[in-house]
Amino acid sequence: MTVNLGLAQVSSDFLIATLMIYSLAVLAFAGDFAFGRPRRAAAGAAAAIANGKRAAELATVGAAGAVGTAGAAGPGAAGPGAADSGAASVDGASGGPSVPDAAATPGGGRAVALPARQVPALAAAWQAGPWVRIALTFSVVGILAHLVAVVTRGFAVHRAPWGNMYEFVTALTCVAAMFFLYVMIRYRAWALGVFVMGAVVAALGLAETVIYTAAGPLVPALQSYWLSIHVTAMTLATGIFFVAAVLGILYLVAERYRARVAAGKAQPGNGLLVRIPGSAQLDKLTYRTVIFGFPIWTFGVIAGAIWADQAWGRYWGWDPVETWAFITWVLYAAYLHARATAGWRGRAAHYINLLGFTSLTFNMIVVQVFITGMHSYAGVS
Amino acid sequence: MFRAKRRTVVSLAAVAVALLAGALVITFTQGTGQAANPNLVVYQVGHRPKAPDFTATSLTGTPISFSSYRGKVTVVNFWGSWCDPCRREAPTLAVVAEQYKSRGVSFLGVDVSDSTASAQAFIRKEGISYPSVFDSGYVVTGDFGRVVLVSATPTTIVVDRTGHIAGLIYGSTTYSELTGLLSDAGVTT
Amino acid sequence: MTDVHAPQSQSPSAETDGTDPFGINETEPAGTGGGVTAGPPASGVGWLRWLWRQLTSMRTALVLLFLLALGSVPGSVLPQQGSDPAAVQQYFTAHPALAPWLNHFGLFNVFAAPWFAAIYLLLFTSLVGCVVPRTFRLAGSARTPPPRAPRNLERLPHSGSYPSTLPPEAAVAVAASVLGGHRFRLRRPADSDSGHWVSAEKGYLREVGNLLFHLALLGVLVSIALGGLFGFKADKLLVEGTGFRDTRAAFDEFHPGRLVSGADLAPFSITLNSFSASYLESGQSRGQPAAFHARITYTATPGDAPHSFDLQVNHPLDVDSTKVYLIGHGYAPVFKVTTATGQVVYDQATPFIPANTGTFMSDGVVKVPDAAPAQLGFMGVFVPTAVRVGDTLESAFPAPDNPAVSLIGYAGDLGMNSGVPQSVYQLDTTAMRQLTAAPHALLPGQTWTLPGGNGKITFVGYKQWVSLAITYDPGQLPALICGMLALGGLLLSFLIRRRRVFVRAVPADSGLGSVVTIGGLARTDASGGFEDEFASLSAELAAADAAAVAPAQEPEPTNQSETGA
Repeated sequence: MTVNLGLAQVSSDFLIATLMIYSLAVLAFAGDFAFGRPRRAAAGAAAAIANGKRAAELATVGAAGAVGTAGAAGPGAAGPGAADSGAASVDGASGGPSVPDAAATPGGGRAVALPARQVPALAAAWQAGPWVRIALTFSVVGILAHLVAVVTRGFAVHRAPWGNMYEFVTALTCVAAMFFLYVMIRYRAWALGVFVMGAVVAALGLAETVIYTAAGPLVPALQSYWLSIHVTAMTLATGIFFVAAVLGILYLVAERYRARVAAGKAQPGNGLLVRIPGSAQLDKLTYRTVIFGFPIWTFGVIAGAIWADQAWGRYWGWDPVETWAFITWVLYAAYLHARATAGWRGRAAHYINLLGFTSLTFNMIVVQVFITGMHSYAGVS
Repeated sequence: MFRAKRRTVVSLAAVAVALLAGALVITFTQGTGQAANPNLVVYQVGHRPKAPDFTATSLTGTPISFSSYRGKVTVVNFWGSWCDPCRREAPTLAVVAEQYKSRGVSFLGVDVSDSTASAQAFIRKEGISYPSVFDSGYVVTGDFGRVVLVSATPTTIVVDRTGHIAGLIYGSTTYSELTGLLSDAGVTT
Repeated sequence: MTDVHAPQSQSPSAETDGTDPFGINETEPAGTGGGVTAGPPASGVGWLRWLWRQLTSMRTALVLLFLLALGSVPGSVLPQQGSDPAAVQQYFTAHPALAPWLNHFGLFNVFAAPWFAAIYLLLFTSLVGCVVPRTFRLAGSARTPPPRAPRNLERLPHSGSYPSTLPPEAAVAVAASVLGGHRFRLRRPADSDSGHWVSAEKGYLREVGNLLFHLALLGVLVSIALGGLFGFKADKLLVEGTGFRDTRAAFDEFHPGRLVSGADLAPFSITLNSFSASYLESGQSRGQPAAFHARITYTATPGDAPHSFDLQVNHPLDVDSTKVYLIGHGYAPVFKVTTATGQVVYDQATPFIPANTGTFMSDGVVKVPDAAPAQLGFMGVFVPTAVRVGDTLESAFPAPDNPAVSLIGYAGDLGMNSGVPQSVYQLDTTAMRQLTAAPHALLPGQTWTLPGGNGKITFVGYKQWVSLAITYDPGQLPALICGMLALGGLLLSFLIRRRRVFVRAVPADSGLGSVVTIGGLARTDASGGFEDEFASLSAELAAADAAAVAPAQEPEPTNQSETGA
């Protein structure tokens, strides 16, 4: 079957549109970051100082923590609840609507001090301020355009649209964007938007310029239904690890800031750094992201081994790409072990997380393109 | 201090043991099954594997049935015109074949991985008088391979009168090696 | 009402008195925090025990994981003996000083090096040493009931309370039935002194998943070793029209496992009937291969009926668990050499090796040792789609649209009797003289009469050849099963949380009914989600309590309406 050049062109056009829309989303996120909640954050930070170190350290994840503390604190206990959310939670705005929810009880009319369910995430999103609304709208529209670009590429080439590096990066950034959108809304982590979507824009820009490959059929070695299984899994896992890496970098920044505040070397409440979530939350968010991606990566490696056996006659031959996929797996396993080892839980674990993603990127960009082996399917000359 | 030093020593000792274990595991599991082939393998009477029975076509197209060789000592030589050591041993084989014909020894060649034109040119040049099976599909080779190790050319197998394999020579054979093996197989001088 | 309370601040022994109901510091086996807990070992056995504790600690596992990753790096950037011996040779010639040193450390065969084996052996020993005791501990904890409910449930990370109109014992019973309905394991007070409470625990499968994952990895390692011992790999180059039987002598390369014997090879035969490759004719990817088809006939055992099969990449043949794969292909031009007297001394297809996989311009050698009066040798270049560029012949397209061959002829002594084995793809011209100064080009059917009465060579035509990989790996299926088990264990350990919920009821201050407090915590709840579960569970408990009250209240309103008019 020949390539449908018309659809291929549609795909390219939609991808350019995606880039532009994502850029606008990044700008809106930046706007929220800069102008969105200065008062709330400053007030929260002041209250945090008033409550001492304990409030900052005891925050649990995101708004779940904020709501949990607000709910468990009972109706009307907005003081410590807001302090917790302001100092360490990702969004103080959800602290507001959740308090009346805690008072509105199930069971009809009785004052019940039960932990309240969370405010529906989308409602919280819409109430988070005009900048966030704009950014979310652009993000969603951008993701839709992105999906159209990926799907039309697939129809243009009559196969799953991840057969070379350009298609792979296009698809994985789509996964990353969708996954991040879910994480951001669920945990009300608006401040992360500018970083993750910014990284997505950078990756897509690279895809469009440096590694662009025209639509074409695949060599016989790649003509197999395993493409849909193995590469799909690797695409998903890479997209998820991409988000984890950005979160990891943010953790290191937040943790450094927290340590400096604790040591008295920095003023809390100043600067950009107070606007990003606390290091404890970022740590948990990163962990949850990695444990979402790790089984998918494991499955992708196994599926790759099964496919290698079909195509090359052996399920594992220490081909450079195979070896680096193994190294990446071992490094993420080390990250998971580090989180359970005394003395390795904080920064060290996140360095390992970033090392794992570096290994993944090295595998994708350097090994597949420059080191010859059986797995040289990047299509980039 | 002293404790820390002893701990280091013990840890290093453990690492050394681990390396040794690693070496052992590697040698045991990843070494190849192809140990250095001895040049000569001789089987004692009573421990000789049975040679396979086969029918095949010769280089000239005539049918060959191995069962017709029962009752005689047969030298089966795997060769190819492209094979350097086979070319080197060809004169020896031709001489021994002539000398031992009267003592009831037959020679049968098995030509592998060859074309009839090249093989016949070789036979003409070397003056080989005994027939050869044209085994382009490795069928006869495979039959023997299930009983004894046949991995490369030349390989010379001596089959005794009862159809059992008395011994093998791997690589280019010499006059004394081949005649020695023939006497092991029961050929009287 | 409740502060968020970080459980990490509690002591390890707090599990019994209820202040640390989860023994949350128990992420590592006791005493493995770097070995600083014990004093210096007193004896040899003490040293062994110390060493063992070091080996099975998380820290050592972490270090070994790093070493494993680090050790794999040279195996991917340096050429490896197992996959590309030619590249190793090239590396030696390119780096004559450095290469022997690297070879000393086994860096050209990393994954078969003893030091790499030492790393994963230590890692798996550490794994087994950690997993086995944990298995026993899991079995033990599966038998012991959940701990007693702490006195002060409000100190737990998640808690709440609701009033109940039922007496404490009944309220707790209602709560217990709800929790039991969710398949929690329950524990009730043995005596009445400790009040009315119920402890519930769930999520043992998490540790099962964790252990399954680690043991399955061990299974993968054992399967790989099994395959290495009993399996084999072989290569075979097969020209159209020829066939071979699965036997050692037939293979071009044979790599058997340690315990492989000739009788293990399944006695199948394969004949290559024809091979076709199609290429993209137009567009940006012109010349890229589109499909390969190797049409073969095979018999599983001698005497069997032959079967045909279309062997393709990604579509191997499976005969008696031995698999045959299509790896590569090329051209084999057919030459016929006759002497000056007309005798045919060579007439066969000669495999040429593609030097350029884009255009399939291929190199090869023809050796005619039985030519007369002198032995003949030819170095040739085969071009499938010939175009003349200046003086040279080049190939424009990989398909055989316009095949041609260019030969340089030599006469003399091929050196085949020298005792030094030669490759069939290399010509040693030291004892030969070149017949003509320039190469001679031939189209199919053309003949070149050699100077000096050396005979004639005819380019009859061409055939194609395929290279096959024949492999047998009995460890392959076990490795796959263990891999899937590992994945299953991983998912279990990530998705399931071990969690405990406690319910306590005390009589209400007013004397009527009781106040029910619920508390809950999840062990290592970094993966989250327990807040939601606890919230919904609490709501359900409160609702069940309310429902349990309602039937008892129904008769009252009728009485009141009668009296109250």
